[in-house]
Amino acid sequence: MFVVIVIALTAAFTVVALFSRESVPLERVQEVGYRLRRGWLVFLALLGVATVGTSLFFLPYAEGTRPGETVKVTGGQFYWSMSRTSFTEGARVRFDVTSADVNHGFGLYDPRGKLLGSVQAMPGYRNRLDVTLSTPGRYLVSCLEFCGVDHHRMIRYFKVVER
Amino acid sequence: MEAGRASIPLHASALEPMPGARGRDRSVGWLFAGTGIAVFVLMGLLGLTMRLTQAEVLSVSPAWFYRLMTLHGAGMLTGALLAAMGMLWFVLRDTVRLTLVKVLWSYALIVGGVVLVIVAVGVGGFATGWTFLSPLPFESAGEWRPWAADVFLLGLVLVGTGFLVFCLDVLMATTSAYGGVTRTLGVKFLRGRDSNPPPPAVIAASVVSIEGALASAVGTTVLVALLGRAIDSGVQIDALWAKNLTYFFGHSVANLIIYLAVGMVYVMLPHYVGRPWKTTKPVVIGWMATLVLVATAYSHHLYMDFVQPGFAQYISTTASFAAALPVAVVTIYTGMMLIWGSSYRWTLASTLLFLGFAGWAIGGSAAVIDSIIPLNFRLHNSLWVPAHFHTYLLMGVIMWILAFFAHLLESGAGRSAARMASIAGPALMLVGGYGLVAAWYVSGALGVPRRYAAHFGDTSGYSVIGSVFTVIFALGLLVVLVEFGRLALETWRRRVPAPIGDSAGEQPAGRLRPPIETPLQLTVAVAASVVAAAALLPPIVDASEVSAQFHHLAHSVYFFFGALVAVAVACTPPMFDRVRRWSYGAALAAVIVAPTLMLFAMIPSLYEEMERHEALHALYHMGLITLGVITGLGAARLGRSVGRIVFVLSVGMATMYAAGVTGG
Repeated sequence: MFVVIVIALTAAFTVVALFSRESVPLERVQEVGYRLRRGWLVFLALLGVATVGTSLFFLPYAEGTRPGETVKVTGGQFYWSMSRTSFTEGARVRFDVTSADVNHGFGLYDPRGKLLGSVQAMPGYRNRLDVTLSTPGRYLVSCLEFCGVDHHRMIRYFKVVER
Repeated sequence: MEAGRASIPLHASALEPMPGARGRDRSVGWLFAGTGIAVFVLMGLLGLTMRLTQAEVLSVSPAWFYRLMTLHGAGMLTGALLAAMGMLWFVLRDTVRLTLVKVLWSYALIVGGVVLVIVAVGVGGFATGWTFLSPLPFESAGEWRPWAADVFLLGLVLVGTGFLVFCLDVLMATTSAYGGVTRTLGVKFLRGRDSNPPPPAVIAASVVSIEGALASAVGTTVLVALLGRAIDSGVQIDALWAKNLTYFFGHSVANLIIYLAVGMVYVMLPHYVGRPWKTTKPVVIGWMATLVLVATAYSHHLYMDFVQPGFAQYISTTASFAAALPVAVVTIYTGMMLIWGSSYRWTLASTLLFLGFAGWAIGGSAAVIDSIIPLNFRLHNSLWVPAHFHTYLLMGVIMWILAFFAHLLESGAGRSAARMASIAGPALMLVGGYGLVAAWYVSGALGVPRRYAAHFGDTSGYSVIGSVFTVIFALGLLVVLVEFGRLALETWRRRVPAPIGDSAGEQPAGRLRPPIETPLQLTVAVAASVVAAAALLPPIVDASEVSAQFHHLAHSVYFFFGALVAVAVACTPPMFDRVRRWSYGAALAAVIVAPTLMLFAMIPSLYEEMERHEALHALYHMGLITLGVITGLGAARLGRSVGRIVFVLSVGMATMYAAGVTGG
C-alpha cells in the first residue's frame, strides 16, 4: 500500500516539477486547480472514513473478545517471566502483561520471525492481549519499549507443540 | 568574477531578500538556522555511528549506543526546533512587532538546556532515550549517576521554557497587531466580518504558538513531577499519566517543528514563484483544524497501552488521519499550484524548498499508515517509526532549513549557488535520504525493533544498506555546506553595516485590552473565586486528609484562587491603567516562573515538614496563593488574548500535577 502511495506521490511531484518552468497564468492554474481540489478533498475524506471505520473492526484490544487461557507475564530489567511457556497448536491465549519496574514492550514473534503484535508492559497496570497460537514451533518475546542498557537482550522463548 | 559562477537564470525577485527581518534583526535568521544546521550535522554523525554499529562495522558498547541515541533524539529535535523558530521569527518580523531581546532569551534558554542534556549524557551517562518515560530515569540499572537524571530533566525544562517564551512573544505580537485571537486566526474573515485577514504566516505562527504554549505547559508539568521524584524518592508518578503527558509534549513539539517551518515557506515560496500566497477560507479552516488535531492525535503513541481509555484511541486514530487533510488538500496542494507554470528557476534554495514538500508528503503518508490501530499493532516501535519521522524531518524540515539558509546566502552574496552544487548536492541528499529511510521502512514492515544497540536477528544487511545511503546523504550535505561556505565569504565581503535599533516594518501594537473587560466577565470571575473558596475547597480539603491527589488539588485551588482574584483586581479600569505600564518582560517571566515554582512547591518532601506546624502550614498556603497572584498579575499585563491563555494553562498545570502525582 505504502509503495503505491510513494509511487503516486513521486509521479505527482515529478509532473509539477516538469511543468514548473512553463509560464501559465495563475488564474488558469487556479481555475483548474480549485476544481480538482474539491474532488481530491472528497476522495481523501472518503478514504479516511473507510480506512478508519474498517480499522475499528480489527482492533487488537482484548476486552470483550473470547478470552483464552490466561498467562501472567511480567517484564523486568531485563527479563520476561511467564506463568506458562508451553502451549498446544491453535491455543487461544490471553497474555496478562505488567511490569515489575519500568515500561517494557511485549513483542510477540511467531516461529517464522513475523511480528504478530505487541502490547506495553507498564508498572501498576495490566494490559491484556489475546492471541491464537496457530503455528507450532518456537515463539520469541522481545522487548519493544526501550528499558535500559540490556533492552536488546530482553528476550524470552516459549514453544507451541503440534496438536 | 564571483557572479560568473551563477549560470542559473533567476526569477526576477529571487536574489532580493524576501520580506522579513532587516538590519540587526537579520542576525536571528543566521543564528537560529546556523545553530540548527550545526546541531543537525553533529547529531547526524551520531546517527551514522549508531547505524554503523547495527551494521557491525563499528563496535560501540550498548551503554554508549544508548547514550548516543538519547543525545541524537533530544539534540536533533531541539536543533530542528531552534532553526524552525528562527525562520518563522525572521519572516514574521516584517509584519508584527517582535522583540529581539525575547527571541535571544529563548535562544539562550534552549541552548542552555542543550548544554545540560549534553552534560547529563556525556558526563553522567544518562540514557533513557529522549522520551524519558517514567520511571526509567530512576531505574538506571547502574548505568548513570542519579544527578544525571536531574540535569537531563532540568535541561528539557529549559528547552520547554525557551520555546514557551518564543510562543508567548509571537502570540502577543500577532494578536496585538491583528486585534485578538479570533481575528488573528482568521475566524472573523471566515464569518465574513473581516475583509483584510492576516497573511498565512501570521495565522500559522499563532496556531503554532497556542499549541506550543500548551505543549510546554504539559511538558513542564511532567518534567517537574519527575524532578520531584528525583528529589523525593517517596513520590509516586502514575505511569500512564506520565506517558500521556510525555507524548503530548514530544508529539506536539515534533509536529510543531514542521508547522513552524511552514510559516517560513508561506513567505519564501511566493518570492520564488512571483505569486502571492493569500489567506483564503480553506487556509483558515485548515489551520483551525490543525489547532485541534495536533492536540488530539498524540494518543496514537499509546495505542499499545491497552488500558488507555478507548475514546482516546478512537479520537486519536480519527484525528491522525484527519490531520493529513489540511496538509494534503490545502498547504501542499496550494504550494504545488503556486509552483505550477510559474517559470520556476531551480536554484539551490528553490530546489531544496521543493524537495521539502515531497518529504513532508511522503513522511506524512507513512505516519498516517502507522496511525491506523491494527497496522500500528504490527508496526509499533518497529523501524517503521524512525523511517516515517526521518522522512518528514530529514527530507522535509531539514530541506526547508537548508533552503532558508541558502536563500539568506544567495541573496547576501548577490548570486545563486554554483550549478554543480545546486544539482549534485540535492541529488545526493535525495538518493541518500530516501535510501536510508527505505531500508528502515522495509525493516519496519518486517517487524525489526527500533532502539536496539545490536542488529535484530539476521537484519544487519539493512543496517549496512542504510549506512551506505547515509554516507551518500552526508556527501550531498557536504557539497551544499561547501557551497554555503563560498557564498558566506561573498556575503561577508558584500556586507553593509546593520543599522542600530529595531528593523523597519514595525507595526504599532494595538491597544492592550484586559483579560476581564466587561462587568459581566468581572462578575463571573468574582463568582468563580467565591465558589472556589466556599464550595469547592472545603470538600477537597476534607478529602485531602486521605489522598495525596486531593491534597495537591487543594493546593491547586489555592493557586487558582490567588490567580483569579489577582486578574480580577488588576483588570478593574483604574488598576489596569497602571498594569498596562508594567514591564512586558517581567510579566512574561512571571507567568512562566510562578506556575513552575508552584509545581516545585508541591513536591511532598518540601512541604510536609511545614505542614506539621500550623503557622508554617498557613504560610505555605499563603505562598501558593502568592504564586497565583503573581501569575494572575502577569496574565493581566499580557492582555486579553495571551493573558487568558496563560491563566488557563497555569491552572491546568496545577490540576494535571494533582491528578498524576501521589506519595511522599
